[in-house]
Amino acid sequence: MKRAIRITAFLVMALIAVGALSAQTMLRYATIAEPPSLDQQVLTSDQATTIAQHIFEGLYTFNKSYDPVPMLVDKESISADGKTVDLTLRQGVKFHNGKEMTSADVLSSLNRWGVYGTRGPVLFANIEKVEAPSKYAIRIVFKNAFAPWKALLAFINGGPVIYPKEIADVAGKSPITEAQYIGTGPYKFVERNPGRYIELAKFADYSARSDAPDGYAGKRSAMFDKIRFIPVSDVGTRVNGVKAGDYDYAEQISGDLYDMLSSDSSVVTLVNEGVIQPLMFFNSKEGPLVGNYKLRQAILASLDMTGALQAAVGPKSLWSTNGAIMPQATSWYTTAGTELYNKKNAALARTMAAEAGYKGEKITFMVSSAYKIHNDIGLVFTKNMKDAGFNVDLQIYDWATLVSKRGDPKQWHIFFTHHGFVPDPVLYSFMSDAYPGWWATPEKQALAQVFTSTVDEKKRLASWAEFQKLIFAQIPVIKIGDVFTYDVYSPKVKGLGETQLIWPKFWNVSFK
Amino acid sequence: MFSYALRRILSMLPSMIIVSLLVFMFVHLIPGDPAQILLGDMATEEQVASLRENLGLDRPLYVQYFKWAGGLLRGQMGNSIFFQKPVLSVIADRAETSLLLAGLTLTWILLIGIPVGYLSATRYGTKLDQTISAVSMTFASIPTFWLGLSLMTLFAVTLKWFPSSGFPSVFKEGGSWKNVIYLILPSVTLAAPNSALIIRLTRASMLDVFKEDYVRTARAKGLKEFAVNMKHVFRNSLNAIVSALGFTFAALVSGTVVTETVFSLPGVGRLVVDSVLRRDYPVIQGIILTIALLYMGINLVVDIAYGMLDPRIRYD
Repeated sequence: MKRAIRITAFLVMALIAVGALSAQTMLRYATIAEPPSLDQQVLTSDQATTIAQHIFEGLYTFNKSYDPVPMLVDKESISADGKTVDLTLRQGVKFHNGKEMTSADVLSSLNRWGVYGTRGPVLFANIEKVEAPSKYAIRIVFKNAFAPWKALLAFINGGPVIYPKEIADVAGKSPITEAQYIGTGPYKFVERNPGRYIELAKFADYSARSDAPDGYAGKRSAMFDKIRFIPVSDVGTRVNGVKAGDYDYAEQISGDLYDMLSSDSSVVTLVNEGVIQPLMFFNSKEGPLVGNYKLRQAILASLDMTGALQAAVGPKSLWSTNGAIMPQATSWYTTAGTELYNKKNAALARTMAAEAGYKGEKITFMVSSAYKIHNDIGLVFTKNMKDAGFNVDLQIYDWATLVSKRGDPKQWHIFFTHHGFVPDPVLYSFMSDAYPGWWATPEKQALAQVFTSTVDEKKRLASWAEFQKLIFAQIPVIKIGDVFTYDVYSPKVKGLGETQLIWPKFWNVSFK
Repeated sequence: MFSYALRRILSMLPSMIIVSLLVFMFVHLIPGDPAQILLGDMATEEQVASLRENLGLDRPLYVQYFKWAGGLLRGQMGNSIFFQKPVLSVIADRAETSLLLAGLTLTWILLIGIPVGYLSATRYGTKLDQTISAVSMTFASIPTFWLGLSLMTLFAVTLKWFPSSGFPSVFKEGGSWKNVIYLILPSVTLAAPNSALIIRLTRASMLDVFKEDYVRTARAKGLKEFAVNMKHVFRNSLNAIVSALGFTFAALVSGTVVTETVFSLPGVGRLVVDSVLRRDYPVIQGIILTIALLYMGINLVVDIAYGMLDPRIRYD
């Protein structure tokens, strides 16, 4: 009898265990590609950030209005001259290895990012010193007041996420390895199965903020036991996978499916308000476009942005002909200098080119076939420019070849790329004098100095308007418009809200 | 037979050395920098140069080649720049998908292609033969991406009989042989055009043999039609079929990129394309060398099979 009771008890417990296992919730996210590494300090891959933001956290993050607000920081104090910033860290924040985060970890992480981080040198060029006066205190001393410091600390993509000291100290120039993916986020790294998935699991000891969720800021709660990021390169497969119930969320769906999927009850569409901005960069080192701003303006006058975006993206709700560098939804938006945007006027362009002394010199235009919008817009623009009498040599390459060629100023005159949304203009690639295109005129450097050292918010906005005017005067880059990507997800997922911000996030999200 | 096989294996060595040299040279001739791809758009020239140095990409090409070739002699293919893992383990992981997919596809081809081809040949000129020819030509002409997406829409999205995409490992992640269900739709997609080709080949080969004198003699001896077809016609047409099946298998293992993409399968074909786009030199070199070895191996197996199928062929 006792044996029968024991066996029955064992079976009941086994059933409960099996039940508990099967009750584990796992979100399956179909990604467009897999990232090379999750090292956020070094890499700027959006695929990496989408995953890594669940594992790693920074000192600051962005709220729904894209203002930088504290994340791992508890309190901040800024000196009257804006040169000294004292940060008090939150106490009791645990890393995934069980260790408590202290100022030693933050100091090591910032120092590594300052040297090897993609965006770190931009901030550290303005820093005199960073020190850790006590266990939970960090002091940053700037050479001069540097307004965008908080935005740079908050932008996690290529940004200063905090690693344990023992990892940051030895990490150096190469991306950190899987064994070193230890952060403070609500999910921890479990494993990477190349080509199959990257798996995260809920971090039981996560120390959440107590303030209400607001964009990326505030309280973060891991509601899924696991999240799997599964690379599914074909867009039709991603959509079918959500419909079939094999995935719960699929990113970056093509525009031509938008109307159909918006009325399909088996999926929910979710527009990403972190716009993608297609850009054309002009060579400021070699060729006929160097210093000939009138000729660059003539090219701008020839371009049909509406036609190009229509051809490349599709539905009108997924793009906007916004010539201003920053999107309309941000406080940075200004129309200053945008008069020549979307003129699509071949006759005007021809006249301006003649005035600029253009005599039919070959203009090499490099576009990548790796991105549909690059390729499609490149084809439309080539026709626009040829219609206006420009001798355009369109060269289409895979992305790796284009990136390699654009490093050599002798090989191109214009190249096409895109930029993800950035909450502060200082984060744009063209703000760096070293970015291909090499825009480094004295006028730019003078305005950049004013823009970055002005601490007063209103003066910064006015300074940005002047900066944008200069962009339209010297045309180092042409922005084509704002493109909104969109994702689809299963109706059983709740908590995603009306729109996504820059990278889809899955804390405070669960199944119904 | 054994000494023949040994001679063939030894003769592969110079071929492999030439392949390794050519692969290494061509891979490094393609424009593009893995360090730049890894670090992304915003990395400075100094950061890229620093990573190149760390990866050993700043050394002269001949130094890089000998380092890689030395590793091959020790059974190592280096580390993937993208995955930061040994190339062998990356390839082995993908090979599981590709080998199982190729095996399953070949099973469908053998079950459908050869019997239907046999039927078509033995009913030459009849309505059945014409129907089989028309249907097989249709399947041979259907683009695999269209067939794959159609099968997925019908059987995964609408009927929900099969998973739409992906392939959890049979051997890892607590996997089981039940996971082979993920390969049903992809293997049918691949088998459709390949079966059609084997049907056509079986039919054509058998029709050629039908004209031989020894077939007429067999019939004159009073052998039953089935025995004539099986023993004298089908068996003698097998050489061409085995040869085609061998190379179909090799092609299925190494080059099913479209099907792997449509069904999001972690196979060798996609790894090749992705690695080229990422300029992951060690993986590209490792895979091409492995594929070359596979083709040579299959060539050897097919040659040995010839000897077993046709007593007139002797290698010793």
